[in-house]
Amino acid sequence: MKELGLKTRREFLRTGLLGGSLCWTVPGFLQNTMLSLHAAADGQLVSGVTGKDGNILVVLQLAGGNDGLNTVVPFGNDDYRRARPTLGLSEKQVLRLGPKEKVGLHPALAGLAKSYEAGDLAVVQGVGYPNPNRSHFRSTEIWATATDAERSSSTGWIGRYFDNACAGCDAAVGVTLGSQTPQAFAAKTPKGVLYEAGGRRRRLGADGEPESDGSMTMAMEADGEDGPAGGSIGDIAGSSGKIDALDFLERTEMDVQVTQKEIAAASGRGKNGVPYPGSWLGNQFALISRLIAGGLKTRIYYVSQGGYDTHTGQAGAHDRLLREMGDAVSAFLADLKAQGNLGRVTLMTFSEFGRRVKENASGGTDHGAAAPLFLAGGGVTAGLLGEMPSLAPRDLDDGDIKFNVDFRSVYATVLEKHLGVKSDPILGRAFPLLKAYG
Amino acid sequence: MATLPPSAWDREKAGVLLQRAGFGGTPQEVEGLAGMQPWQAADSLLGSPDLAQAEPPASIRKPSLNDKLRTERNRLKLLDPKTREEKQREIFRALRAEQEKRLTDLRGWWFERMANPATAAREKVVLFLHGHFATSEEKVKNPALLYQQNQMFREKALGSWSDLVLGVAKDPAMLIYLDGARSRPEQPNENFARELFELFTLGEGNYTEKDIQEAARAFTGWSVRLQPRPGEVMDEETHVPSFVDNSRWHDGKSKKVFGKTGNFDGADVVRLTLQQPAAARWITGKLWRFYTGSSPTEELHQELVEAWSENKGLLRPFLQAMWTHPAFYSPAVALQRVKSPVEWLVGLCRQLERPLPAPALASEITTQLGQKLFAPPNVKGWDGGITWINTASLQRRYEYASWLVGGTQGVRDLAGMDLGRMAVQSGLVEIPTPMVEGEIKDDTSFKKELAEKRKAAARQARELLAISPTPLTPLAPPEDRQEPDRLVSRLTTRLLPGESTPPELQARFRKAAGETAPLNDASVRQTVLAIVQSPVYQLG
Repeated sequence: MKELGLKTRREFLRTGLLGGSLCWTVPGFLQNTMLSLHAAADGQLVSGVTGKDGNILVVLQLAGGNDGLNTVVPFGNDDYRRARPTLGLSEKQVLRLGPKEKVGLHPALAGLAKSYEAGDLAVVQGVGYPNPNRSHFRSTEIWATATDAERSSSTGWIGRYFDNACAGCDAAVGVTLGSQTPQAFAAKTPKGVLYEAGGRRRRLGADGEPESDGSMTMAMEADGEDGPAGGSIGDIAGSSGKIDALDFLERTEMDVQVTQKEIAAASGRGKNGVPYPGSWLGNQFALISRLIAGGLKTRIYYVSQGGYDTHTGQAGAHDRLLREMGDAVSAFLADLKAQGNLGRVTLMTFSEFGRRVKENASGGTDHGAAAPLFLAGGGVTAGLLGEMPSLAPRDLDDGDIKFNVDFRSVYATVLEKHLGVKSDPILGRAFPLLKAYG
Repeated sequence: MATLPPSAWDREKAGVLLQRAGFGGTPQEVEGLAGMQPWQAADSLLGSPDLAQAEPPASIRKPSLNDKLRTERNRLKLLDPKTREEKQREIFRALRAEQEKRLTDLRGWWFERMANPATAAREKVVLFLHGHFATSEEKVKNPALLYQQNQMFREKALGSWSDLVLGVAKDPAMLIYLDGARSRPEQPNENFARELFELFTLGEGNYTEKDIQEAARAFTGWSVRLQPRPGEVMDEETHVPSFVDNSRWHDGKSKKVFGKTGNFDGADVVRLTLQQPAAARWITGKLWRFYTGSSPTEELHQELVEAWSENKGLLRPFLQAMWTHPAFYSPAVALQRVKSPVEWLVGLCRQLERPLPAPALASEITTQLGQKLFAPPNVKGWDGGITWINTASLQRRYEYASWLVGGTQGVRDLAGMDLGRMAVQSGLVEIPTPMVEGEIKDDTSFKKELAEKRKAAARQARELLAISPTPLTPLAPPEDRQEPDRLVSRLTTRLLPGESTPPELQARFRKAAGETAPLNDASVRQTVLAIVQSPVYQLG
């Protein structure tokens, strides 16, 4: 919901709200009954591979289908210029990734350009999968389950990582910043808790951003909505009915007891060493940084930024989204560096698809296919990975970019080289690894 | 289709029906349904057709600030760019505040209809349709249009599916939400056509990309008239943009959809779509999942499809057939259905026989629990099922339950809630509009006025939104207080109709009641709370 102009942001942690009133709202005996019933049996209190100094993966989902071509821009490419007469970015506008490279970052990504120079950012080009699906929901599901486009799975790739590598971990081994457990977390034994820092999700093009024609009567520009984010855990778990609802509720009740205090304590211990932008996303990254600094034994953090479905009026909206994203991420990386934790952390972005090469008549772009993604962190070898796919019309697949790197190669690389586990039990088979780590 | 024999009909099943088809209710209502034949019980819940008629909340009918502001545009142009930008921002805020107020009125109005036993079951269908044809105010930005869509659902909720789908295709809010209003022959927008096939009628895999492109061409021309032409009055009552079939924007050339070729328009596409074999499977499966929380077995799904065809895609007889099917009450589907936040709130109030919280608080509660009416997360609607539940939302359900049982006295500032915003939503603070009617106010006086109004409003909001404790007389009459076991049994029958309680939870409830008889108010509340703050209460 849009801010009203009343100064009413809740800057405190919403999910920690019970605090002192816990005795009344959650009867004290509950703790005894639930804990004794389940904890011992499940071994939930035993921490497994997640020592507090273990490596950490932060997944940033850019929901809605980020326009990869205007994120990592092939500014010199004639096909690009022809396909994007109004939205195309020129050599002068982009932030070049070195004198020889033919691509540059969107001008709103100044923070990430610095990280690239500092050697903490890799760009993986042309990421996608065979037979790309152009539905938000289905494509998000494909990325979440890491299956072939023609197959489905009742578990997500992060969930399978938990099932394989963290059987004895407590639920906080995965923390989602937000209000919905992502589909990638679906598992045989579901793990993961939700937590969210304060601040409102920004509604782009609304508050304080007068629309181009000054009309407030019917804001039909599509850049107002948050969605379609898609891809929550229930897409697979809920509909298949494989998870017993009562069992799930009982586990969740126990997780509330065990983990919320732990998380609140870690966030209290950790401190932010650098200023963060005041956006919702900035707040989430500031919180993740505090949780890492506070010693929470979390292996995977997951946060999602919505709004990338830029069918109409893309230029301004995309600029704001990327700025919010880039500023939040670069503050996060700087903070981790100051803490001395940057080497333990990899941040990976992804979006369910890129957008069509040719811009549409509404000043936007429609659903596409392959797109670049970012890997950032101290252990990451900076530079460009994978080839920039050809944009020549004859090389396109129905107007869309063909992939060069299967997204599961990116997952496999992160799983093997960063999280230190074998990837084929998680991804179903072996995928070629990228040279993303030294 | 298999039907439950009258001999198998009992109180437990009647309780399940009341919960699932409506929003739950009192033991007396369960008793009433149990005394009927199954089909008759289903029929009585749906009530008579004239219950679809509903006067909207008054604020929806009032002319919007929108219209006044239109005339201010010329005056804005006279200002220097910096001041103009600032004024525009203020106007935006005023407009947004007005919309918040209207949306809150609309939500409160809808909650009341859900909580009314006469209209509950119909409103449950409307709630299903709202999630199925998800449309969000965040893009539509016009509460009157959302009311219009909601009322269209209400009127068509128990009629024919094809009439409903066609109504959605022509609905102004949907035309705006999925960009149909902007679609033009030279550049047809595929958004609506894609979701029509993928989410509304067929499901993935039952159409091709080509079908989408061709269907999108057929829908061109169906648009929305935003503003009256000079000298034309659009809709004097509400100033609501209306549907328009504009032949100049229609692609009149031949199209090929689902193998058929013709000079199709939107109505043709809807007809061809619903003729697809996948159409009946899609909607029957979705309705079954909505009402039972699990997917039908293949055998049952085939039965449902047959019942759908027999009833010619009419919703009312199909719903009644579904609600009287033995599988609707089978142990396999028990304890699988998670109540949505709206069902949880309305149902809890009904079972406790207490009034709903004030509209602003009721809608904030469901929003915090993950279901903000008129603002589904995306076109797919709410995922439902176990996605309603996570560590944060379960904690909040328990906390809000404690407010509804014990009242909010002593809960400081309704923890975690935004009183200022709720004050605006309740109409307690009228945001002064800097431009409209009169002088352009200078900034200092404008800001001062605003700050004072807000302060006073937040104080008022605290009073207005306070929740009183649930009266205990109907829940625990003196004779039930004599014995803790008896009270627990009476309360579980009331609050968990048709559910079998796992033994460890039963022990938890019993422990809350204590050992002292007769039970005092505090013990009764503690027992009620133990039941509603339990995993099993979230199901129904």
